Amino acid sequence: MMSKYDLPKNFDYKDINILKQFITETGKIIPARVTGISASNQRKITRYIKIARYLALIPYTDMHK
Amino acid sequence: MKKYEAIIILNPNLSSKVGEFTKKFEKILADNSFSVKKCEDIGRRQLSYSINNHNKGHYLIFNIEGDPIKLIDVENKIKYDESIIRHLFMIVKEHSEADSQLFLDSKNNKHEIEDDNETTSKSKDSKSKQDDNASNKDSHQSEDDEISNEDQKEEPLTDNIDKEKDDE
Repeated sequence: MMSKYDLPKNFDYKDINILKQFITETGKIIPARVTGISASNQRKITRYIKIARYLALIPYTDMHK
Repeated sequence: MKKYEAIIILNPNLSSKVGEFTKKFEKILADNSFSVKKCEDIGRRQLSYSINNHNKGHYLIFNIEGDPIKLIDVENKIKYDESIIRHLFMIVKEHSEADSQLFLDSKNNKHEIEDDNETTSKSKDSKSKQDDNASNKDSHQSEDDEISNEDQKEEPLTDNIDKEKDDE
C-alpha cells in the first residue's frame, strides 16, 4: 500500500506543518492503522506531537477557551 | 557534557526587552558553565491555547551544551522568572546546523505582513468583510494581530462598567 504522506528523513517537533497532517480537526492523533506509515515513524510523530502540544504549537483539543 | 535544546516562551508584553532577557539568560548559562552554540529568536507567535491568559508568546530557541547536574540549577533559576510563561529543555543527539522550520516560517510571515502593508491598502476593506464572515475564532485571531495594544486598554474599561453595575 502506498502511503499518502511524504515524510522527510529528519523532522522534529518544530515542523508543525508535517505534524498537523497527523492530527484530526479536533486535535487527536490519527491512529497508525489509518495513517499507514511505518511503526517507527508513527512513534516519532506521536512523541513530537505531544511536545508541540506542550509548547502551544498545536492544540490539545478544539475546545480550548 | 550533553547537548540540549532549550525552548523558552516569553511573556509577549515583554517582547521589546528580548535583548535584555537573552543577555540575562546567557549569563545564567555561562555561570553554570554552559556554552551557547546558537540562538534563534522566532518572535511573537499565536499560541494554540491560552497560557496564563496570554494568547501570544515570544519564542526563543537555544542550542546549548553543558553538564546535566548544572542544568538543575539553571532550571531552578528560570522556574520563578515571571517573564517566562513556559520552558522546555530537551536532550538532543546532534545540534542541527540548519535553521528550524519555525524560524523560517516566522521570517516568511514577516515578509508577507510587510508586503501587505505596502501593496494592499484598498483590499483591506474586502479583507475585513471576509473576517466578518469567518468564524469567531478566526476573526478573533486576526484582530489580535492588529490590536493587541488596544486590548489592554479595553480591559480596565469593562472592569469599570462591572463595578458600576455592582453599585446599582
